[in-house]
Amino acid sequence: MGAATRPMPLPLRLRRLIAPASFIAPAALAVILTMAVPMADAVLLSLQHWNGMAAPSWAGFSNYSNLMRDETFFRALWHTAYFTVCTVILQTILPLLIASLLNSGIRGSTVFRTLYFMPVIISLAISGLLWAMLFEPNFGAVNGFLRAVGLGRFAPLWLAGAGTVMPSVIIVSVWQSLGFYLVIFFAALQSVPSELYEAAQLDGANPWSRFLHVTVPTIWPVILIVIVLNTINGIKVFDQIWVMTAGGPNYASATLGTYLYTIAFGAMGASNSRLGYATAIAIVILVLSIVVSMVQIRLGRRRDLDSQIEL
Amino acid sequence: MTVSPTILSRRSLRGAVAKAAWPVIFTRTLVYLILVVIVVVEAFPLMWMIITSVKDSHEVFNTLLPTEIKWQNFPRVWFAMNFPVHLGNSFYVTSLSVALVVALATPAAYAFARYRFPGRELVFYAFIGAMMIPPQAILIPMFQFLKSLHMLNSLTGLALSYVGGGVAFAVFLMRTFFLSLPGELGDSARIDGCNDFQVFWHIYLPLARPGMATVVIIQSLYTWNEFMFSNTLITSPDKKTVQSAVFQAVGQYGTDYTALCSGLIIALVPVVLIYLALQRQFINGLTAGALKG
Repeated sequence: MGAATRPMPLPLRLRRLIAPASFIAPAALAVILTMAVPMADAVLLSLQHWNGMAAPSWAGFSNYSNLMRDETFFRALWHTAYFTVCTVILQTILPLLIASLLNSGIRGSTVFRTLYFMPVIISLAISGLLWAMLFEPNFGAVNGFLRAVGLGRFAPLWLAGAGTVMPSVIIVSVWQSLGFYLVIFFAALQSVPSELYEAAQLDGANPWSRFLHVTVPTIWPVILIVIVLNTINGIKVFDQIWVMTAGGPNYASATLGTYLYTIAFGAMGASNSRLGYATAIAIVILVLSIVVSMVQIRLGRRRDLDSQIEL
Repeated sequence: MTVSPTILSRRSLRGAVAKAAWPVIFTRTLVYLILVVIVVVEAFPLMWMIITSVKDSHEVFNTLLPTEIKWQNFPRVWFAMNFPVHLGNSFYVTSLSVALVVALATPAAYAFARYRFPGRELVFYAFIGAMMIPPQAILIPMFQFLKSLHMLNSLTGLALSYVGGGVAFAVFLMRTFFLSLPGELGDSARIDGCNDFQVFWHIYLPLARPGMATVVIIQSLYTWNEFMFSNTLITSPDKKTVQSAVFQAVGQYGTDYTALCSGLIIALVPVVLIYLALQRQFINGLTAGALKG
């Protein structure tokens, strides 16, 4: 009893730390062990030559300087940029427009949202496997449809063609994620006060200019979040491409994610798997996604909306 | 006689409404048409998958609909692709990682929301920073780390590899949830003699159930659907999770589309069932992460 009432300033301050520290410590330990330590390890590994078996040797920045001379790396970088730019544009604009249609006071919007959401719960791997069957050039359903409507002459090779493989991969991504971003936009649209639309209508604004001048500015913080999410997902894209093409044909759909995987695990068991080199690509992915999303947040942040963005 | 002006005005009003209604009806029809076309585009692959799964294997490319529904594709694939084992593996990995994430993240999120202590912001931003790390960056170190612990090809090791990222995200999400709960509840419980842990356990934890449900949904779907880690950290066929097992099956079954489609459907059934049962929470849960971010 006496111990509890004795004035002890410093131990008391420490004692006030005991509760929050013991609440946070287990979670912090988990994040340190399975995120921070591997991340630090990755940085070190990117500075080493290692085949995963013999002792690793220091490489300095040679993995990075070798990347600068690697043509396939630049192709993968280009495909990653291509994929990211297209998905950011399509996976922001399409869901936003469709969400606006659903929010225009039509009946059955819940039914539509539920239907659109179905592909979202399907994994990227399974979506990819499913679309690989649909895209099969000879007897796949997509070309079957083209032939049935008389467009058989244009039936492309889809995933098997070097020129069509990236657009095909992008179609799958848009198909899979539409419902997800649509539901995010729909929730945001419902928070737009209807007086804003009524006022715009009184001023004679048509639906399109109401969309551009009322909807877009009002929900801009959410649009920015969707752009950033799409960007991060685009830069690290792997699952659907790996199951559909493994980066082929002949690296025509190789992204940074699939290229590093090919280097690290494509030659599993073989002594030439270059883990340090692959990790250097992973670090490029990390730096790209941080830098690009930071720039987007900087550019996208408007002073008058600052208070609404909590990122 | 006094009624007639009313009827007259009503009639002219109806005429005016009908005149104005035509463009409205036209745009409404157009909107519905667009929405239905998108439903067709979104649903077609799924319908095709379901129809193909019950076709006879020589009908796949010739007919639109099966002449006879062949349910036997499912039991055939169920055993041939060894689904009982793979579903069990996925179930084990998912429940273990979800349980760990919820158990670790809930008290941490509570502390970030309810305590003021030096370095709070810094530690919290470290958690947020961990969310930014792309999975590829830690894949190779994780592979070597588990290998050195002799936990490569171990389902427990795979489940553990998901915990850090899951915890970071869950702390972020749950903190917002705890912030929305009134602080007075804890203060009055403390006056009644509860210590810090009792306040958390008896007062706030029961109230945090909806937040925990959100974390459970997000983490379950993420873990169940995860492909890259499960395909890399697990090497022996009988330990594969559902995702990498169906990927392996493609090489084996090639163009036996009826078998592949039945396999994909079996792989999808667990998430679809949860989705149908918890539709609203599911959609809210998944979008909460994005909206609160």
